Amino acid sequence: MLYILDGGLQTLVQDMGRKDYYHLGVPPSGAADRYSFVLGNILLGNPADYAALEITLLGPKIEIRKKTVITITGAPLDVTVNGTAVPMWETICVQEGDILSLRSAQKGVKSYLCISGGIQVPHVLGSRSTYTISQLGGFQGRKLLAGDEITIGEPLPGVFHHVGMRIPEEYLPKFSSSVDIRMVMGISSYRLSDEGVRAFLNSEWQVGLESNNIAYRYSGASASFKLIDPPFGAGNNLSNTVDIVYPIGAIMVPNEKELILLLRDATTGGGFVTLGTTISADLDLVSQSRPQTKTRFIAITMEQAIEARMSKKKKVLTLQSLLK
Amino acid sequence: MFTLPETRFDFGGDEYIYAEISRDMSEESNFKALAVTNELRKRNIPGVHDICPSNSSYIIRFDPEVISPVDLLEYLKEIDITKSNPSALNMQVRIVEIPIWYDDPLTEEYSRRFSERNISHDAMSDFELVRKLNGFSTKEEFIEAHSSSPYLITMMGFIPGTAWEYPLGLEKKQIIQTPKYSSPRTDTPSRAVGLGGAFTVIYPLNAPGSYQLIGMCAVPIFDQSQRLYDLRDTFFLARPGDIWKHRPVDESEYNEIVRQVKEGEYRYRIKNVDFSTEEYFANKKEYLTHLMEGF
Repeated sequence: MLYILDGGLQTLVQDMGRKDYYHLGVPPSGAADRYSFVLGNILLGNPADYAALEITLLGPKIEIRKKTVITITGAPLDVTVNGTAVPMWETICVQEGDILSLRSAQKGVKSYLCISGGIQVPHVLGSRSTYTISQLGGFQGRKLLAGDEITIGEPLPGVFHHVGMRIPEEYLPKFSSSVDIRMVMGISSYRLSDEGVRAFLNSEWQVGLESNNIAYRYSGASASFKLIDPPFGAGNNLSNTVDIVYPIGAIMVPNEKELILLLRDATTGGGFVTLGTTISADLDLVSQSRPQTKTRFIAITMEQAIEARMSKKKKVLTLQSLLK
Repeated sequence: MFTLPETRFDFGGDEYIYAEISRDMSEESNFKALAVTNELRKRNIPGVHDICPSNSSYIIRFDPEVISPVDLLEYLKEIDITKSNPSALNMQVRIVEIPIWYDDPLTEEYSRRFSERNISHDAMSDFELVRKLNGFSTKEEFIEAHSSSPYLITMMGFIPGTAWEYPLGLEKKQIIQTPKYSSPRTDTPSRAVGLGGAFTVIYPLNAPGSYQLIGMCAVPIFDQSQRLYDLRDTFFLARPGDIWKHRPVDESEYNEIVRQVKEGEYRYRIKNVDFSTEEYFANKKEYLTHLMEGF
């Protein structure tokens, strides 16, 4: 068991998210940076989708109540066990009574505490992930608070023989203050003027303060609409369309000065002009970008998006065989 | 009977196909979205995960490592063309009664609190704003208009359980329409009834929102507690293709229904029917009267 002494800013139970309920308005949720999440699990020898704790910016303080093996991945944090610094991206053995403390991230946003055997909370709609808006899944549908007792699985066979294993340097993600996000144009991008499309692609946008697991907001440039009457049933603003179900990664234009990029806790439907969709391989990068991060959007084709997806997947598979 | 124009398809990144049946909202477009997505769901294609009808479009999420996006698109186009006649749709649907306290004090208070974000900044309630914009001279006439037609669930999304409702059997000019807030409210009461564009939406939980608030629904539309008999196997009241009928209630009946829900005693009024778009388009008024018998 894990006994939470301090929950940190927002510590949530996450796995790879929910499937099959999107048509009823249920977003997938799950780990925001899947790459770092999956690396933590495979380093421990867990199945890739075992539930872990997702930490946002300020980490929790936890008393370990059962001897097990853990690893911390994702955005760089200062981690200590009983006050002594321990490395990230490495398997660590912790004993009953140890105090694990995760301080604030220097770069990036999301870090993961993965545990051999995974976090044990009930599956809700097929997943252990936390969706806080509807208080669905996770630990009582909410972030962890002081006094919470979180059940963890039994350490998996052989895991104690693998303490001290590390993810090789070249596999670690980079955390930068300026990022390129690849996307495929479409959906209702025809509602933007030609200058609007050019401005969207050629401008440097900045991540806004209100960004979270639901959506990222960008400002700092301007993308103008075509001056046409919105279609019947849409409402009367230039940014309105007849409401659609949005893809995860959709980039919307609620007004000419702002972009909204939907993440895995997305509000799954609505009626804002939508320029296109972020490729799945770059959603991790979005989730790890801090407010003020300079962001450029690069339009690519669906085929290039698949290539990016497969090369990322190949990297994980190579690493997985390397660690065996 | 009539055929819709060709659907426009786009890839949404590497996991989605978006299909735009029409830019405007119409019953025909939604019936087609329901017909295509029902058919695709029946076929149970490996690698196809989410199949979501929306108001005048639909969206599919797939795993490109299991199914080729190009093959799936071609396959989808074939189904789409065979479903281009929206009068060939037969569905089993449920008619559900939705009790609403219109022009209630809570949504009035929210209207005032967020008036600086609305299209008109004076202290008028959203209910009054929408009534006036749509040319109804009295409160009663507006309530009658919003509660006499059955509404089709044309899409679900936003937050879990949220259902878009679009009135059946009306000419476009008869449909109540309204602009949305210029900037979204940061909060909306759980079970508030909102209007935006040509759609009605009931907020399942407290949430941000930009629809004009005209009343409170007395019954939950999203409930994880499973204390109500009719929601014992599901968290969601709505299903795409269902028909909802609004029934105006006064303050005391509203409070009585809320009490019954709290005690776990409330039973939704639900009727299962077969809906035929062919019969509907042949004589909308007569067909709806027959279908809605007892509601």
